[in-house]
Amino acid sequence: MTTAAENPYSRPIPLLAIVLVALAVHGPLLLMELPSSSFDANFHMFFASHYAHHWFNPWNEKWFAGFSQTTYPPLTHQWIALISNLVGLKMAYMLVQLIAILLLPVGVYRFAKIWVDDRAASYAALGVVFLGSLTFLVYQAGQLATVASAALYLNALPYLYQWMTESSGRSLVKGLAVTLSAAAAHHVTLIFGVVFFAGPVLWTAILDARDERVAASTSGVLLRAAVFGLLSIVGVAIVLLPYWLALIQHPIHQIPIPHDSRANFLLNSITAINYFVIPYGALIIALPFILVRGASCPRWRPLLYGFWLALIFGLGGTTPLPRWLLGRAYEVLTFERFTFWATLLAMPLVGILAIDLLDRFRAKAAVGLALAAVATIGGALFWLNANPFRPTATAKVEPVDAFLNRDGHDAYRYITLGFASELAKVSTYTDAGSVDGDYNSARLLPEMTNYGSAQLTNAKFYGTAGMSALRAMLEHANRYGLKFIFVHDPYYEPLLTFAGWRKIETFNNGDVTAWAKDDVPPAHRIASDAIPPAWQGLMWGILPIGVSFVAIFLSLFMRDTRRVPVGIPLRSETREHHIVA
Amino acid sequence: MKYAIAIILVAVTAGLMVVGLFVTAQAGGTIGIAKGSALHTAKASTPDQALNNLLADVQRRNWDRAFANVVSTGGITEPAFIQDWIGSNGSVRSFSSLEGFEVRPLHETNDEAQMRVHLHFSSPVGPIEDVRDFHLVREGDLWKAVWPKVEIPSVPAQVIPVTYLRWDLVTGSAGDEWGAKNVDSPHVRIISMNAVDSAQGSVVMGEVTNEDTVPAFVTVNATLVDGAGNAIDEESSFDKIAHVLLPKQVTPYRIDFPNLSLKNVKNVHMDVKATLVPASADPVIGVMNQKIETDSQGKSVLHGDLLNQSGETVNIPHVIVSFYDNSGKVVWVSDGYVDRALLPQSTEAFAVEIPKSLAPSIHNFHVVVNQYSLNNS
Repeated sequence: MTTAAENPYSRPIPLLAIVLVALAVHGPLLLMELPSSSFDANFHMFFASHYAHHWFNPWNEKWFAGFSQTTYPPLTHQWIALISNLVGLKMAYMLVQLIAILLLPVGVYRFAKIWVDDRAASYAALGVVFLGSLTFLVYQAGQLATVASAALYLNALPYLYQWMTESSGRSLVKGLAVTLSAAAAHHVTLIFGVVFFAGPVLWTAILDARDERVAASTSGVLLRAAVFGLLSIVGVAIVLLPYWLALIQHPIHQIPIPHDSRANFLLNSITAINYFVIPYGALIIALPFILVRGASCPRWRPLLYGFWLALIFGLGGTTPLPRWLLGRAYEVLTFERFTFWATLLAMPLVGILAIDLLDRFRAKAAVGLALAAVATIGGALFWLNANPFRPTATAKVEPVDAFLNRDGHDAYRYITLGFASELAKVSTYTDAGSVDGDYNSARLLPEMTNYGSAQLTNAKFYGTAGMSALRAMLEHANRYGLKFIFVHDPYYEPLLTFAGWRKIETFNNGDVTAWAKDDVPPAHRIASDAIPPAWQGLMWGILPIGVSFVAIFLSLFMRDTRRVPVGIPLRSETREHHIVA
Repeated sequence: MKYAIAIILVAVTAGLMVVGLFVTAQAGGTIGIAKGSALHTAKASTPDQALNNLLADVQRRNWDRAFANVVSTGGITEPAFIQDWIGSNGSVRSFSSLEGFEVRPLHETNDEAQMRVHLHFSSPVGPIEDVRDFHLVREGDLWKAVWPKVEIPSVPAQVIPVTYLRWDLVTGSAGDEWGAKNVDSPHVRIISMNAVDSAQGSVVMGEVTNEDTVPAFVTVNATLVDGAGNAIDEESSFDKIAHVLLPKQVTPYRIDFPNLSLKNVKNVHMDVKATLVPASADPVIGVMNQKIETDSQGKSVLHGDLLNQSGETVNIPHVIVSFYDNSGKVVWVSDGYVDRALLPQSTEAFAVEIPKSLAPSIHNFHVVVNQYSLNNS
């Protein structure tokens, strides 16, 4: 046996140290507000801003001439809203994002321990701090809810395993509380997590029961899994009831909107870099090991299959499998999150690779692994500026908000053109409403849902579909009280000129221009059957945040019966001699 | 076993990726977003494939690769080739991007081929369709498109005196509203109105004139009313009208009601709004050589030439035409954007389509030219 003195890498890294590494790496980046120019950060802050002002009223008049925020799980937004009272909206976003990032290595550590020992799990958890996919989601995509939900879900799954194999009541209660919190953060993660994350955990528990590695019987595992699943379904149904009711009332029937993550990466080099090379980074080199090592032990195969399926889904339109399996949902989902999940699922096996290399090459391996980790996160951060489709802080929106907030201009609706994700920033700080918005699933206006394009502000990027949607909206300007248009891209000026808008003001030395149409009447409230009743507003304001408080309380004050799990064989069936000293 | 499972997963992944190449090709991929090089491009071993490769590269703006797929007969350079595609002088074409295309063979031998391509462009003023014939030749194993030399319009240096009328406006208030609200609106009048059913729905059209001595900004709205007096739908003339009318000027207007039949319509309420605005008679654009013809695709088209008589480039000319029957009634209003800029003292051809069923009944027409100039936007 190799001792710690002989091999300083032979012990697990303390979890606290890993969390501190995560804090050291991501804390400064978040304090610099690096994600504030990501694709979705302004969207999340916009939602949070509404909760900060109208906690129990999810009907938001600022986008789409009115939409319900019950169409998106509220947990992260409500936490931002709460914290924003202390530190402001943007810093609150950064803090919630930081908490999600800090929870992630903890979740990966606990998740990995279902399959590997403490040492490999600790390296898996350390590795997740440097993942390209995490960096991509946090700093480029701004997918706060996806990261937060995945972190919570990974923390819930060990409780599921413990409940299934040890029949621990505490694990059931804590597992349910954390699972419901994950659902309250992001519904898509929970739904697909059942297949990609819970599926391998259940399969492994069955294998462990069958091979008598745990005290439970196979039927017992299945029965307890069913109980957990049933309680989760009931819990999620109750906690997110307004969301389900909104979805049932208005299923997503809009024309599919193109998204680059659904492209065939073989036909587009930039897309391949953006959605494969950057998120995987140095993990690409580890792929053969993950495949061979994951297949070497029957107990690891469920994890391998989950990883492989997530990998295939993350390739978007490169393979037809996601389209075949998801049907119409394929056209609604974006696929970068699957790559994130694939990398998370790979981490336990990567942890094994790390200790294999450290046992064999020691300091050299440590240096190599460190360089690979830094190169991965460094590459993803570099890509923020190198990506030709990077989200950029396009326009200074303060003058636009000042214009809308003075002289009764907020009596009319407005749109922005060429503002990209800054649209949400404009909306956050003005009382005026827009017919545009940055959340596709909440759109109900036919001028938008009848065309295969997303935000009007980005209309030109969707070609004829986008410009047709914009045109349809402008044709109905009088109907919606759409008087003002703010232009940050001269591309749109010919259309506005021919359609009867006139330039009335310029901001930022002509960087942004304001256009108006004279005969537009003031905006009036658009009748909608999507307005949630007051009781749904109460539920929405209490239950999602409530389950997160319960989860925190249980985590702090209800101690685990014992650490999870034990007695798991680390090595593969066919041992490699160089591993063991 | 461990290698078997790994090999199977790799093989299945590779197989799915191969199948994905065909499925994605059918799906068409993303629009307006996709850029970069294809890691896989089919060899240009047929005229059809060569043209597809060329147009795909044009779509992605991979100009070097696109130009490598053409044979220059007239010594065309790559910049001229690029300009042929992306336009110049702030024209509609310079704002457009190639969104799709359909290739159809016209004639093919072992060494030469003639192909017709329907090109679909997206532009700020709406989709633009173009039909272009390509000549391809075989060079070794590969086919390439022959690209003739492109004539780039240029205007000699000259001085153009501006003597046209201009109306400025002193509003007296420093508000951000354009137009003048503290004076009477200009007097404008709808001089004709006709409502008809068309293939896409119902259409309300006619002409409106500015009877005042000052320029007016005009919008025309129409509301369809049913037998019970309830409004069925309300639409506006949008871009099928010249919004700025100089004194005594007449403009056609057309208001479309998509997917609506006139069967249930009892009445049409017309609403014309006018605002006093500053305006200039410059640039003056003449319309010449107008004639109705049938084009190569069998469509009835009004052809003509626009002459820019001023010294200012008109970046996007917009032609709106009223068509009259024997009795002088407006039977159709059609419009079209000219995809090349109208340089000073130069001409550009225009073409406006007419519904085939109406073509025989058209006795006369009136062409109005609207315009967008970068300098005056």
